[in-house]
Amino acid sequence: MRILFLYFCLLSLIFNQIEPVDGLRENPPRVWALTHAKVYIEPGTYLGNATIVIRDGFIENVGRDIRIPNDATVLDLTGKTIYSGFIDSWVEISTQPENTIPHDAHWNHKVNARRELYSQYQPVKKKLESLHKMGFTAAHIVPDSGIFQGQTALVQLNNEGTVLISAVAQDIAYEVDGWGSDKYPNSLLGVVALLRQTLMDATWYGEANAITKQFPKFNEPLKGNRDLDVFSNWRQENKPFIFETNQELSVLRSFNISDEFQLNSWIRGSGYEYRRISEIAKVNPFIILPLDFPVTPDLSHPYQALSYSTSELKHWDLAADNPAILIDHGVSFAFTSHGLKGNEFRKNLIRSIERGLSETDALAALTTIPAEKMGKGNQLGKIEQGFLANLTIVDGNYFQNKSKIVSTWIGGEEYPVLPKYDTDIAGEWKLTMGKKWYQLELKKKNNSYSGSVIQDTTNFKLSKLKIGGRFISWQVTLDSTAGPSRFTGHILENRMEGTAHDLQLSWSALKIGGLEKEEKKEEDKENSSELSVYYPEGTYGLENDVLQDAKSILIQNTTVWTCGKQGKLEGVDILFEGGKVKKIGYSLNSKGVTKIDGTGKHITPGLIDCHSHSAAFSINEGTQSITAEVRIQDVMNSDDITIYRQLAGGLTMANILHGSANTIGGQNAVIKMRWGATPEYLLYENAMPGIKLALGENVKQSNWGDENTTRYPQTRMGVEQILRDAFASAVEYQNEWIDFRKNNKKWKKKIPPRQDLELDALVEILEGKRQIHCHSYRQDEILMLTRVAEDFGFTVGTFQHVLEGYKVADRLKEHGANASTFSDWWAYKYEVIDAIPYNGALMTDVGVTVSFNSDSRELARRMNTEAAKGMKYGNLSEEEALKLVTINPAIQLNIDKWVGSLEVGKDADFVIWSDHPLSTRAKCEQTWIDGVQYFSLEKDAELKARDTELRDKLVGKILSKKSDSKGKKWNHSEKKSVDHHNCLEEL
Amino acid sequence: MKLIYSITLLFSLLFASDQIPGPPQDHPIIFTGATIHTVSHGVLENAEILFDGGKIISVGHNLSAMYKIEKIDISGKHIFPGLISAGSTLGLQEIGAVRATRDYAEVGSINPNVRANVSYNPDSEIIPISRSNGILLALSVPRSGRMSGMSSLMMLDGWTWEDATLQHPVGLHLFWPSMNVAKSDKAEKKDKSDKESRLKSIQKIDDLIQESRAYLKLKESRSSSFKHDLRLEGMLSVLTGDIPVFIHANEVRQIEAAVYWADRQNLEMVLVGGKDSWRTTTLLKDRDIPVIYTQTHSTPMRRFENYDQAFTTPFQLFEAGVKFCISNSESPFQTPHIRNLPYHAAKAASYGLPWEEALRSITLSTAEILGVDEKVGSLEVGKEATLFIADGDILDIRTQVERAFIQGREIDLTDRHKTLYKKYKIKYQQNGLLKGPVLE
Repeated sequence: MRILFLYFCLLSLIFNQIEPVDGLRENPPRVWALTHAKVYIEPGTYLGNATIVIRDGFIENVGRDIRIPNDATVLDLTGKTIYSGFIDSWVEISTQPENTIPHDAHWNHKVNARRELYSQYQPVKKKLESLHKMGFTAAHIVPDSGIFQGQTALVQLNNEGTVLISAVAQDIAYEVDGWGSDKYPNSLLGVVALLRQTLMDATWYGEANAITKQFPKFNEPLKGNRDLDVFSNWRQENKPFIFETNQELSVLRSFNISDEFQLNSWIRGSGYEYRRISEIAKVNPFIILPLDFPVTPDLSHPYQALSYSTSELKHWDLAADNPAILIDHGVSFAFTSHGLKGNEFRKNLIRSIERGLSETDALAALTTIPAEKMGKGNQLGKIEQGFLANLTIVDGNYFQNKSKIVSTWIGGEEYPVLPKYDTDIAGEWKLTMGKKWYQLELKKKNNSYSGSVIQDTTNFKLSKLKIGGRFISWQVTLDSTAGPSRFTGHILENRMEGTAHDLQLSWSALKIGGLEKEEKKEEDKENSSELSVYYPEGTYGLENDVLQDAKSILIQNTTVWTCGKQGKLEGVDILFEGGKVKKIGYSLNSKGVTKIDGTGKHITPGLIDCHSHSAAFSINEGTQSITAEVRIQDVMNSDDITIYRQLAGGLTMANILHGSANTIGGQNAVIKMRWGATPEYLLYENAMPGIKLALGENVKQSNWGDENTTRYPQTRMGVEQILRDAFASAVEYQNEWIDFRKNNKKWKKKIPPRQDLELDALVEILEGKRQIHCHSYRQDEILMLTRVAEDFGFTVGTFQHVLEGYKVADRLKEHGANASTFSDWWAYKYEVIDAIPYNGALMTDVGVTVSFNSDSRELARRMNTEAAKGMKYGNLSEEEALKLVTINPAIQLNIDKWVGSLEVGKDADFVIWSDHPLSTRAKCEQTWIDGVQYFSLEKDAELKARDTELRDKLVGKILSKKSDSKGKKWNHSEKKSVDHHNCLEEL
Repeated sequence: MKLIYSITLLFSLLFASDQIPGPPQDHPIIFTGATIHTVSHGVLENAEILFDGGKIISVGHNLSAMYKIEKIDISGKHIFPGLISAGSTLGLQEIGAVRATRDYAEVGSINPNVRANVSYNPDSEIIPISRSNGILLALSVPRSGRMSGMSSLMMLDGWTWEDATLQHPVGLHLFWPSMNVAKSDKAEKKDKSDKESRLKSIQKIDDLIQESRAYLKLKESRSSSFKHDLRLEGMLSVLTGDIPVFIHANEVRQIEAAVYWADRQNLEMVLVGGKDSWRTTTLLKDRDIPVIYTQTHSTPMRRFENYDQAFTTPFQLFEAGVKFCISNSESPFQTPHIRNLPYHAAKAASYGLPWEEALRSITLSTAEILGVDEKVGSLEVGKEATLFIADGDILDIRTQVERAFIQGREIDLTDRHKTLYKKYKIKYQQNGLLKGPVLE
């Protein structure tokens, strides 16, 4: 076995060299024995005073009393610790743009599955050296651009750039170019949609290819697509996909995608995982974990301090706990130095160890875990016979600040980190000069020396002490009557010799001992944060992430606005149980329930906003006229503080819509304002799927400036045509699938239809399974859409804004569409010149179901008084007016079976008001959803007090800390709300 | 040229309101049986008010006995002084998105000389819409760059801008530069320029003041070196103390910087915006700096602030003894919506501000800060008869305004919205979808 192994090595040595030799051959010896070292053969197991034999790039032997081969040269490593060479699990390599995109590449410029990074990799000496300095010997290299960025690779960090594994994983990034780009996709919405479509296409392409090959007579040759080809194979082999995440919610999003397509997926972490640790631990992904912790923020100016949110300050305190928290929850990870420079990586790693991460887990995250994950577990990550000779050598414990990395070995070749010419001369010396002798003391601190010559008790300080390699020189004044004397010398082993020039003497010194080590200061050690995570993190967050159970609540002697058949009831009791309305009546009695005195209070159903853009990270994919494939549910932001603020105004539900930048925008999400929940749990389970359409000035880019005049359509005439074109193609697509599903013989030999997410959504509209929410203003376009819909056999769900709806209310009624409008907005653009606040009332009077919406994170906090405008303008009754923001939007969203009114059996979503709900005097006192209290004035006061105290404490802690940032600016800004307010400004 | 002319003509036709300005008051009027919200002297129940020649002659009880003139019984109704919007682009803008209809921002950052009232379009459709809800006076404010121009207090009725001007100039408007210093790493370079640019911006304002003072000196001393400079000329009324400088600032660092700057330059100032003013109440109180608070309907400035911060700020100002009034948002986007002014005050009231203070904050307090409280802002003898009658509390949305008077002239309360409402009601009466006879 051993001989075979050697033979193999020899072979590889001979045949590795392909290129012709230029000049003389170089064959440096490749057999070494590293002796007397402490050797970590794997995380948690070490051998003291051990020897490693290296031959031709491999570890030939390791052990305590092993025979050193005759041909091996011994390197004595007494006092050193040897670890298996560290692997940096994420090193971004800047990718080269392709000069010519191959004709068989994917149509989208961000899909680069074909990119093989290993073939672009060029070792750069400077970069290699900086990685060696941290102890890394191998790296997982990844591309740095695109959505599907390409295939990552595992390489040796040697000068040759030896590739160990050429295709480790497919790298996926949520790369968002933003509004400045006109190429699809420019938003997070579009990015997720492209991800999903491409993964689907890959499966289809694989099948299509096979069928085409099998039945060439029945199928035209398939247009080649190299990227889909790669994916198709990738998925068949179940190779990993890595999702690059920038915060905890983006991990949860990646789980959803990976779940939908059954991907073998990894996560490139962000350091924020601890914030949703239980959800992350449930899935337990492999995480490539960076350690870029926040610098200490500069709060020295109290007003500047205001620009830090409490969650940012908390992250400063908690970030270094993240690795230990992941381990505690059983999540495995590998480390990367990504985002860190110089000694920051080790410094931060040590901080995490001080906060409870074990050295064994840390070492595994640098060695065995990445080696195994990346497919080299049998050759990398351990110091074992037959493994590659990758070593990291430290003059002590790597996980303690003081030790230094001496060198790295990569494939049996040494890459020194500390210059070999450096010698350590700190200590006590006996200095002899002529006949006199002195004591010489040399101290070293942070790589610079200081020293003094001591005679009896007199201390002469050395000045201009210079040590470089084996040269030493200084000046000293030993006799106050004479001037300074200049000394030069050479450093030998534990001995120095030289000349004292001005004294015209020669000197020599012998090392007689070390200096007493200064004790490590205990206060430098870090402790785990005492803070607990809030859900969501930051002010107003809840203290645990477990969903609360519905309470049994009896509100007594109160006014209930049922918004149902019973109308407004005074002096009644209302009982909520199991998250539902249980009973409404006079003098109800129930045991074991929490009683609330409702005297003087008013109870209404939770308010519903039928047009909102809150709680989402992304609103418009505006690059194409039709983007029916994008989904708001993919970009939910459960941490958006506007959720809490709107709850405090009595809002319990909202229809989160795509923007109005294009004719057919994206799919909506109907949410309940379940503050503290994950994005998934905001989604309302009973909601009917919907989609945003838009007409008029926004979709024809009327107010986008003179440069945007070429995207089709630019007129309302074109808007109609683009709609007809879209639905006509949806009909054809639908027919193709119907035909396919009939399972005729012909389909057995033919390529199946390709699933198209955009057309799927349109077909759902045709089938009445997905309802339209159409942004509209003028009567002509409203009328037009009803006609187009009728031609294609479907009904428009709601017209949104619909500010000229009052002009064609009869048509709306006849068609069966609802209207969700602003109470009183007008005059902000030309198409709303005829908008009137009587719109809502007049449409109601004609028989259209009308709601008032906010389209604004600000306005959504006071929808009750918006409803009052239905009384002011057009004399709706108070009950009708309140319905504009309760049952009517529920009807419009097709959820009125469950919400929108207080009737027995419906959801316990309700608000307690201090006064008549339509009065400006009314204040929202409590907001409940599904029988759970999500807001109350009392609880709010508690949270305010808690958060003020917490913030004060954190600020105090930061102020009393010595700044470690050395002028470095804050590096962890959190932007968790997208700043768009309404359909005009969102453009 | 012709094209521009015809476009202008088109818009002026489109946007000219149909309402006819009221004629001067030619006979005395007494309303009786009303709940009179004098603002200056509390609420008088079942009271009477007499006005003639555009002025209030008497307010109280039993006036009709003293004056032998026809009285109008409005029992159950409420009388309020005309509400005052303390800043918008009313009259300077029609359709926000249509460039040709925007007249509020002159080119460049230093425009102290421009006057709002000269381009106030008295036929703007937004004017009748606003007064329909009791907004009878509005400050029209130029908005451009740093020193944006002089504002004018307009009456919301009149044939020409000259008719409609109640007071000009009211203030010189200065939009305080951003004092924000970026904290993020990526913005490090930007940060340096931030720091420099805010110092430079303040220096630029200082330079302008210095130049204006030098200009004034040349002018006053009738120097032979004096040559006219309209921009500097525009600065003079502030330097002479005739009008205050209205400094628009929201963030706490801006507010402080502005206050100390005005102090250093010895100028009288009014703070406009004031979102963070609750953080600096002591400073504002000590220096007696009035605040036009425009942020009631806004979200908190910072994520960690109280959800109701914007609502409670007026109460905090009131408690601290800071002189303040409440106004609508200054954003030109909100100009068509200044009719909602009373609901800004109402929101503050439901979050702590005493109800009568809320009403004062959109009437008399505003008049005081704008320097017109001799004329308007309350129902007091000798003041102008700028008032309206409503069927309830004007701070409640459900209340309807029924009649209104500006300087005793009864004004037409119809507007574009009511007209269109009526028109389309007729449509549905014609086709039988609405009951009732077809109205005319």
